[in-house]
Amino acid sequence: MIEVKDLKKDYIDEGDVTSALRGVSFTIDKGDFVSIMGPSGSGKSTLVQILSFLDRSTGGSYTFLGKKIDDLSDVELAHIRNKSIGFVFQSFNLLTRLSVYENVEIPLIYSDVPVPERKKMIEDAVHSVGLDEKLHVETAKLSGGQKQRIAIARALVNDPDIIFADEPTGNLDSVSGAQVMSILDGLHDAGRTVILVTHETATAEFADRIIRLRDGVIESDEAVKNPRHSKKEFIK
Amino acid sequence: MRVSDLVKSSQATLKHGKMRSLLTMLGIVIGISSVIVLMSIGASAQQYILAQVQGLGSNLIIVIPGGSGNGRFASPASAQGIVVTSLVQQDVNNLEQDPSVAAVTEENRGQANASFEDNSEVVTFDGVPANFFAVRNFNVTEGYAFTDGDVQAYNHVAVIGPTLAATLFGAGSDPVGQYIEVKNIQFRIVGVLASTGTGAFGVDQDNIVMVPISVAQTQMLGVTYFNDIMVQANANYNISFAQQRVETILEQDHNITDPNKDDFTIETQQSVLSLLGNITNILTLFLAAIASISLIVGGIGIMNIMLVSVIERTKEIGLRKSVGATDKDILQQFLVESVMLTFIGGVIGIALGGLVVGAAWLVITRVADASWAFEFPISAILLAVAVSSVTGIAFGIYPARQAAKKSPIEALRYE
Repeated sequence: MIEVKDLKKDYIDEGDVTSALRGVSFTIDKGDFVSIMGPSGSGKSTLVQILSFLDRSTGGSYTFLGKKIDDLSDVELAHIRNKSIGFVFQSFNLLTRLSVYENVEIPLIYSDVPVPERKKMIEDAVHSVGLDEKLHVETAKLSGGQKQRIAIARALVNDPDIIFADEPTGNLDSVSGAQVMSILDGLHDAGRTVILVTHETATAEFADRIIRLRDGVIESDEAVKNPRHSKKEFIK
Repeated sequence: MRVSDLVKSSQATLKHGKMRSLLTMLGIVIGISSVIVLMSIGASAQQYILAQVQGLGSNLIIVIPGGSGNGRFASPASAQGIVVTSLVQQDVNNLEQDPSVAAVTEENRGQANASFEDNSEVVTFDGVPANFFAVRNFNVTEGYAFTDGDVQAYNHVAVIGPTLAATLFGAGSDPVGQYIEVKNIQFRIVGVLASTGTGAFGVDQDNIVMVPISVAQTQMLGVTYFNDIMVQANANYNISFAQQRVETILEQDHNITDPNKDDFTIETQQSVLSLLGNITNILTLFLAAIASISLIVGGIGIMNIMLVSVIERTKEIGLRKSVGATDKDILQQFLVESVMLTFIGGVIGIALGGLVVGAAWLVITRVADASWAFEFPISAILLAVAVSSVTGIAFGIYPARQAAKKSPIEALRYE
């Protein structure tokens, strides 16, 4: 599904070059649950931004669902992002002036789904995170955990191939965090590909595999020995 | 992105900040209503002025002493206050001979005090022949208009306008048979004119004394020339042909071979209408142009608020881009918001302008008791809607482009 080879990213500021990624290679298959970990400045955010087409690499190659990303225009990438990728952000990024329904509708607006077809898609997505009764509530009135679950519903509404979750429990209490991780785990169990960015080992161990970055290179890329045990411990 | 989504999204944003939206619109509301009011008043004034000229009659040719050259807007020397003595009785006699001419009349005007007992009023006195009343459609409501006999006998008789009658004798009284003094001559009033109202540029045409031209020329003014000659064209002839004949006859009379050196100017209702129409159009456009300055100020207000909105909604722009919005989608969204602001502002401005015009019409017709048409031209409404929408695009494009250009990563990071 994802194949990166010798991926590089340099930032140039007034002649000074900073290398955020110095040649990263790995593959992620459909249905994988992968955590990306690393300390601040390790390059994990840059990597996820490139993987989700929010940014472009300055070297190496990136193939997504068989398509060479470097060959695609910004508009084509926006369309792929809309159809194939769901985002869950640490700060939820909900539009608080809109209702739950209207927030979850946003990706459908950009995929030109006819208005009558949207209702069921939105209801299904909100149902999948267990917040049916909040469908027409203003998002400003929701708790942090509920907001993040709505953000997951928004990520799911277009039935994407992959979910990128960037520190999804970072702004939540432990109970809400456990609920959110449980939903992501459920999505993985249902066959969805999930890429989780986190700095918490307990959260990272929900995944089958952890890629650790340091100073723009992969420090380790290994399977989690007993993910089921880790999950139970986290949820407790 | 569907148009319905664009409109719905913009509506939601504008509704969310109602007070801000209203205040932002205010500049456009004021600008559009000013344009509407000025264009409407301009159109009413035009109607009013043109109606006065149309009262002259369509078959009337007016000859004014002094040439006006070739200039489209040049006025004859006599109209500039210079005494020109080129029109005389011989001209009238010769014009009367031509078959294209039905009637010829002439006048000599002056200003003087008209008094009755202790009442006195500055009036226009107009020395005219007996046929003047018929040629100019001046009706006499009380008494009669003086006759050729009165003119030839130098009789001191007068027909006065209704305003003067009311001023000197009181409203509702019958002045016929009374004597008024003008320029130390006692005139017996033989008739009172029907009201012709206020003329173009606010001159009260009813504040007048009409006396035999023989008396006016010899005993009041001491002149032998005329202030103007009016020719009524024969209905069997085309007015342009009659006009051409008048020009030829007068040139022959005055020994003029080069038409550019004519010592007279010919006006017809059509030419005056055309000239006044042009002048009032230019005035209306000029007023509308001044009013549109406020539209520009309003547009800058919109641009300012939209720029603030782009900064405030940076994170929203990042989110929308991350879920699939293209630069074009973001540009359209912000542009539709600014156009919607100016369009709604334009509609409110039109309504407000209509109210002001209606109120002005009520005051002018009811309080000032003047005849004033309520003009609310469709062209002004269409122009206002178009201008307000174009203002939205013109002043919304820059903020919208700023929004569209934002990098999704930078936008998502914005706090």
